[in-house]
Amino acid sequence: MELFLSYLVNGIVNGLVYAVIALGFTLILGVMQVINFAHGILFAFGAYFFFSLNRYVGFWLALVISSFLVGVMGILIERLAIRRVYTKNPLFGLLLTFGIAMALEEMIRMVWGKPGHSVTAPDFISGVVDLGIMYYSKYRLFLAGLSALLIVLVWLFLEKTPHGAIIKAGAQDSEMVMALGKNLPRVRTLVFGLGAALAGVAGVIAAPIHSIRPVMGTYVLMPAFVIVVVGGIGSFWGSIIGGLIFGISTSLYPGRFTDIIPYFLMTLILLWRPRGLMGEKSILEV
Amino acid sequence: MDVAVRPRYREILVNPMFLITALFAVFPFVPYIGKFISMGTAVIIWCLFAMGFNILLGYTGLPSFGHGAYFGIGAYALGITFKHLIHGLWIPLILGVLVGTLITAGVGLLLAKKRGIYFALLTIAFSQMFYFIAFRWDEVTGGETGLSGIDRMAIGIPGLFSIDLSVGINYYYFVLVVFVVSMWVIWRIVHSPFGRVLQAIRENEVRTQYVGYNTAAYKWASFTLSGLFASLAGCLHVLLQNAAFPEVLEWTKSGDVVMMTLLGGGLVNFYGSILGASIFIIFRDLLSSFWENWLLLYGSLFVLIILFVPTGILGILTQKKGRAVLK
Repeated sequence: MELFLSYLVNGIVNGLVYAVIALGFTLILGVMQVINFAHGILFAFGAYFFFSLNRYVGFWLALVISSFLVGVMGILIERLAIRRVYTKNPLFGLLLTFGIAMALEEMIRMVWGKPGHSVTAPDFISGVVDLGIMYYSKYRLFLAGLSALLIVLVWLFLEKTPHGAIIKAGAQDSEMVMALGKNLPRVRTLVFGLGAALAGVAGVIAAPIHSIRPVMGTYVLMPAFVIVVVGGIGSFWGSIIGGLIFGISTSLYPGRFTDIIPYFLMTLILLWRPRGLMGEKSILEV
Repeated sequence: MDVAVRPRYREILVNPMFLITALFAVFPFVPYIGKFISMGTAVIIWCLFAMGFNILLGYTGLPSFGHGAYFGIGAYALGITFKHLIHGLWIPLILGVLVGTLITAGVGLLLAKKRGIYFALLTIAFSQMFYFIAFRWDEVTGGETGLSGIDRMAIGIPGLFSIDLSVGINYYYFVLVVFVVSMWVIWRIVHSPFGRVLQAIRENEVRTQYVGYNTAAYKWASFTLSGLFASLAGCLHVLLQNAAFPEVLEWTKSGDVVMMTLLGGGLVNFYGSILGASIFIIFRDLLSSFWENWLLLYGSLFVLIILFVPTGILGILTQKKGRAVLK
């Protein structure tokens, strides 16, 4: 029982981090209709920036600066490349970001080297805490709390601010939004920066529990795909629920074939409800 | 037909299919370059893969980003048959292609009604599932280390003649024969009424439906056909390497075949994917041999091609605009 509970809690913690990653991914996909293959590598850059900054400026400042830098990278990628392919077939955005991801991953190898690095959690959140039924890592609790906070902030941004309204409208009908005089190109740049920063912050907070390696981006990109397919493209709640499903399903039964479980779930959901759990028919699904 | 259709010699000589065949046939005899017989074989195998893939991408306009999976499934099916069931050439080869095609057909059933982003996302996710199966199912697939010791057996008629395929040059010509036959078959497919329907789906699927075609069935057939040639290429590749590794199933490998098709101009010309695959393999092998971080250049090149020359090399040479898939 206790073992089951600890697996479940682990699953929820992992799920919340996956949800943050998938949220940035689905935001970019929903608004720009670009499958951002570079999303995973932005996650990796978050971790690497944090690794380099952490020993000089401390945990919190390193977290903020790293996320900000990754956000800036996202904006640059959008401005220099992705901006040119919006009106074209989705294949373009996909291939473009695929190439960008490949080049950026190699850049990490050149700058930080091929072997992995590791960082430790700061003192105030290291050790374990007594939850009554079991002991649990303080850092993982912190991870879950911060992820939940980010999710709430994104929700508030989308639901309660004028920018959020334009973003949601832009995902539905970009021509109409432009006709109403809204600066859609700027909104798109903003969304890309925001999505990238979300990937970056996830990379930062995941860094102390993972080894920081050049391929780490590849390993989170696939979960993002599956979560978005399961949850429904462009859906906020879909990526949260999908993230939790992914996290829990891969944590409950540790074993050799664990990695495959989410993909089987995905296949089942496709057969039963092709648009994903929370997907709306109007967005992207023709 | 009232006029006797007898192609003149000059027409045969300038036919690209003849030129490509001739070029590959004399390759082993080119001084200095001809010694790269193994790379030459790999080039032909990837040409076959890219050409089959282009039925789906170029002619039907469906962007699969997980086709490495079907290449890999064919490879593994051949390897598993060879290691666990029967030592031979033909039966493992036929079983490899058959299993690869059947699994592609099964996945195709789930994907036939999808298009655009959904289609691409799902192809990626499925390929990842197959990758994990190959990676984890140690008893059958050899897990991380893969399957090795898959030898090429001799072919021939007992008592009459026998060709030892384990000799590099013999295998090269074996692959070439398979390639030329496949090239002709694929050419016939895409230039048949069936191929025209695929192109109609690429241009406008909804309109094609209204004309009365069951577009889902045509998309499924196109997916399955491309899977057939992918697994055939995978089988030939396994025999070339004498081994199957889980890397062939990784989704990043699927990007390679898309890149080949775009690079050569497979979207504007039937022969584009052959040109693209040849350049791609040669360029990659040369670059990676003298620069450790060659992927940086490769990724950047990828980006530049997509942004500035989406019609590929043949697109520039023939001054053609990209097809609907690139609008």
